[in-house]
Parts: sequence; structure tokens; C-alpha cells
Amino acid sequence: MCQVSADEAENNTQISQNHVSMAEVLSEEDRERKSKMSAVVVVHGGAWAIPDELAEASVSGVKAAACEGFSALKRGGNAVDAVEAAVRALEDNTVFNAGHGAALNANGEVELDAIIMDGSTLASGAVSCVKNIANPVSLARAVMEKTAHIMLTGRGANMFAESVGVATVPTETLVTEYERKEWEKRKHYVAGVMEDFNSQWAHDTVGAVAVDCAGNVACATSTGGIRNKMVGRVGDSPIIGSGGYADNFSGAVSCTGHGESILKVTLARLILSHIEQGKPVAEASQASLRYMGDRVRGAGGAIAVSPSGQWAATFTTERMAWAAVEDDVLWYGLDPNMRLKEQLSK
Amino acid sequence: MLPVVVVHGGAGHIPKERSETAASGVCSAARAGYAVLRGGGSSMDAVVEAVSQLENNPSFNAGCGSVLNVKGEVEMDAIVMDGKTLGSGAVSAVRNIANPVQLARLVMDKTSHACLTAEGANQFAWAMGVPKVPEESLITEYSVMRWTKNLAPDANPVECQMGKMGTVGAVAVDSEGNIACATSTGGLLNKMVGRVGDTPCIGGGGYADNEAGAVSTTGHGEAIMKVTLARLILFHMEQGQSVEAASDLGLAYMKSRVGGLGGVVTVDPQGHWAARFSSLQMAWAAAQRDTLHYGLYAGEHVTQSIDNPH
Repeated sequence: MCQVSADEAENNTQISQNHVSMAEVLSEEDRERKSKMSAVVVVHGGAWAIPDELAEASVSGVKAAACEGFSALKRGGNAVDAVEAAVRALEDNTVFNAGHGAALNANGEVELDAIIMDGSTLASGAVSCVKNIANPVSLARAVMEKTAHIMLTGRGANMFAESVGVATVPTETLVTEYERKEWEKRKHYVAGVMEDFNSQWAHDTVGAVAVDCAGNVACATSTGGIRNKMVGRVGDSPIIGSGGYADNFSGAVSCTGHGESILKVTLARLILSHIEQGKPVAEASQASLRYMGDRVRGAGGAIAVSPSGQWAATFTTERMAWAAVEDDVLWYGLDPNMRLKEQLSK
Repeated sequence: MLPVVVVHGGAGHIPKERSETAASGVCSAARAGYAVLRGGGSSMDAVVEAVSQLENNPSFNAGCGSVLNVKGEVEMDAIVMDGKTLGSGAVSAVRNIANPVQLARLVMDKTSHACLTAEGANQFAWAMGVPKVPEESLITEYSVMRWTKNLAPDANPVECQMGKMGTVGAVAVDSEGNIACATSTGGLLNKMVGRVGDTPCIGGGGYADNEAGAVSTTGHGEAIMKVTLARLILFHMEQGQSVEAASDLGLAYMKSRVGGLGGVVTVDPQGHWAARFSSLQMAWAAAQRDTLHYGLYAGEHVTQSIDNPH
């Protein structure tokens, strides 16, 4: 089982040497290892040109979220519990554009999207354009577990939230002062002008993937959308196969980046189709992101995990804040080819 | 082999008394789509025309004739996709408009977004000058009858979904080899307010790619979403399967993995097409080489000249 794929190992320094040799040792014991499967949690805090002033907070945010997710596994939770815990931590963190810290739409309102998916049954829950909920990922999970449906939108999603006792919070608690000021500044622009700058905009959707000790995989993705977006605009995040997908037979993926491009190539499902055809996780992710760049000129990022514990964090944007926990080791990165690690205390 | 258009009027259990309406409806829509193609129109024009006709036909669960949500309201979903650019437009839970497929196309053509939902979709419609229609104009006696029956506490869930016509859709390849798909629906009978099914979800309700082909799906929405049925079928085609084999593989997988039934219309860049279903019936029709093909029951395949007045 490889934590670092061969081509990524070339990009690293002394860490890669350890992993190449580790992989050789492990291959003998692979069959034994499979019975005590290694659990992994990977999270991302968005793929975009993260400015330096947000870099430190973004990295510490994803590290904390990955640890939250891993703690859920250690407490006996499954992959779905882990991705929900990780994404909740990201939603509660105002540095990311999901839940708290969300962007305002053209009407000055908050509209949130989220998805969660269980790879063992392909069950899924999603909400789009739900208003004023602090943790859309948990509402998405409630859709999955408490209704016969997969996706609820708009007022229907809010009605359901009320029916299951999920509180609506005032806009002010979800939107930062900074965001409100930015929105005020830009609301006088015509929509057409805004689109030109789309690639420079924050695409700080958050997400997580996990595989638990039983080999079950899950994914979750959550977002507040793009600042000043059209009312009712739905991006890739809550769309199954695009913002995320999870299947015990191939793996789990959560995507971030230019939403409309991710939709055009159904990025999550595309990555998994490559894995189904035998590509390692990192190569599958790279091939799919490259295709998205070539075919529709879109940039983005993806985190992916396979049922055997292979994982990758890949992006074609300038930066992506990501973190992963496996075997009490915390990995994280921001810039391309950056791959740092910390030992976690047992 | 080109141009070609294939349409469906929903997969499910179509009672005998509605079968003639179903067959004539899809035949009309296929004829209309074909006329567009023969006149030099694009595959996108053809699928939008075909689906608009089915939306206007009160016998189908799209536009007029849509099923009602639990509150007795009409909330509609639709998608269009352009195989050349992979551009798409979708609307979900939109209300008070006659042709959601046309609004979906406007989303694709007039915005930089791919999907608009609920009040936002309606706001966009009014901004585009799309007429607001009273909800009553979309509601049929049949829909009300089915909705009322379903509200009964002892309503049989299987019987509940029977008899309603399904989602409608179309795929086409034009003379230039451009491929498109379109799908439109009123959704699931007595669905929760705001429930969105597969139809407006790219890869679920439909997908089109000039390099692979196009699919429009119908059937149990949640099952279709779980397996991203349209995209799955195209993956099989990309790996060398024929339109029939790919469609059957996708449908069989959906049945075995998540217990869902449905149907698809599928086309490849050369113009090979298939109309396949794992449900009891699916109303479908195809037009190619001035020939009209159609069917409803498993194994049924009738052909006649396209110019034969129906």
C-alpha cells in the first residue's frame, strides 16, 4: 500500500525515500495489512489562489479538521461520521467559505450547498441553496438518513431543517464583517463584469474523504458559493458525481475549484472511473484534472481515497489547503509539491 | 446514419388505457425533433423542440401534466447539455413556467452558470421575459387524482408510482456530428417540497459528449443519481461497448447495486441509437433516415415512414 505515488515521490525530498522503502517492506505483508486496514481521513479547504494573509489560517484549519475527522474514527465512528466531523469543523471556521464565513449572493443572502455520500450503499444526501444553517453537511446527512430522497433545495430544504429541529441562524452569525464589506463594494458591478474575474475568485469550498477500518469509504463537500453569485446558482458541490462521490468498490472523492468546469466533466465520478480501470489514486486524480484543464479550461483540486487506504491531494490551481491523517501521522500542504508531516501523539 | 433523434416519455408501468396517448406523444415529439434536424437545425434545437412538445402534452410528467409534490404544488426540473462544449444548463424546483427545458437552455446560453434553483430560477425566468403561468394551467385532473390517492394513509407505495407518465427526454446527433441531450420532469409523485431528483443533475438525468455520445434517463430518480446512470453508460461506451450493451450494463448495475428500475435513450457519434429499459414499459420513439421507430412494451419495435401521417 502506497501513501505517496511514485511520481509524487519524485517531487519530494527526503520523505520520498522513506516511503519508497516503506512500500517495499509492506508489500510482503500486504495481505495481513488488509485485515487490519489503515483508516485515512483527507480534507481540503478549497483550491484557488489563496492569498498569503489567509495561508496560515487555512493550513491550521485543515489540519484541525483532519484531526477532528480522525478522532471520530478513533471513537468508533465510521467513514461517514469522519467526513461529517471534518467538514463540520471546516464549516465552523470562518476562514473557509462554507457555513460560517459564507459568501453573500447578489441579494445579500446566504445560500449554502452540501453533499455527503456513503460508499457502502451509495446512499447520499444533499442540500442546495439552503438558507442560514450553520452546518449544511449535517443537514445533508439528515436528508440521507431521514428521507427517501437524496436532494432537497431552497425553501423545501429549510422546511425539512425545521422539521428535524435544525436551527436557522441569523445571517450576521454566518457572514464575516470582511465578507459584508467586500459584498457592499462589489454589488454595484454588473454580473457580466464579475464573470471575467471568476478564475481569481475564492473557490474555497471545503470537503473530506475517509476510509475506515472496515474498508468503507465516504465523502462530503460543503460551500457557500461565489460572492455575488446569481440568486439560486448551484455549483458542483451538491451534485452527486461532480462535487463528490463515494463507492466502496473504487473510492471516495471530494472536489473543489471552478464549479461549472467540475460539472462539465463530472470530476468526482471521472476520477473514480480511472481508479476502476486500475490507475493509482494520484494518477487518476492528475489525469482527470488535466482533462478538465484541456477540455474545458477549468482549474481545480481533488482529494481522493481508495478502499485500501491509498490517498492523494491533487490540484491545478495555484494553491490548495489540504491535510490528511493516517497512522497517527498528520500530512498537510498548500503550495504545489509541498508535503509536510507531523507525528501525532497516540 | 445522421441526423438522428431519440425521445422517451418515461419508464415505468404504463396502464393500457394510457398507452396509445404515450405512443402518439413520443412519435409526435420525435417527428418534431427530426423536422428541426432535417431543416438544418442543431441537435440542441432538436432536443429542446422534442422535449418542449412533451412538456406541452398534458399526458406526460413534465411541464403541463407534471405530478404534484406533497403540498399539491408543481415543482419542475430540467437539463440540457451540449456535447461539443460540454456546456449545460439546468433548473431545479422551478415553478409557474410552461417549458422548463427552455429555461434550462437559457441558463446555459445566457449565464456563466450551469444550474439555477427554486426562487432564483424563477427570478431568472422573469428577467428573461419568460411568461409566468398560473399553476392551475400545469395541473391535470389525472395528477390531482394520483396525488389524492397517495395522500391516503394506506396508500400502496408501489401502486402510487404506477400509471403516472414519467420524465421525458431526448438525445440527438445533427448532420455536423454535434450531440445534445435534454431531460425534463415534474419529479416524484407526492415528493417532499424541494425534492430534486436525477433530472437536473449532470451525469444523472443526462450527459452529452461529442466524443462519446449522449444519454437521457428516466425511472427511479434516487437510484439513477446513486449510480450517475447517464455518465456510467457513456463510460462503458468510451471503453468500447455498443449503445445497447452499454445501456443494458448501466441499467443492470442500477438494478443489482441499488434496486432501482429505469430506462434510457442513448446515441453514439456515428448515429447508432438504443432505447432500453429495465422497468415494465417505456414510451420511446426515434427518427433516422426518414424512418420513425417506436415502442412501449418490452421487445416492441414498430417502424414506419416518417412522413406517414399519424
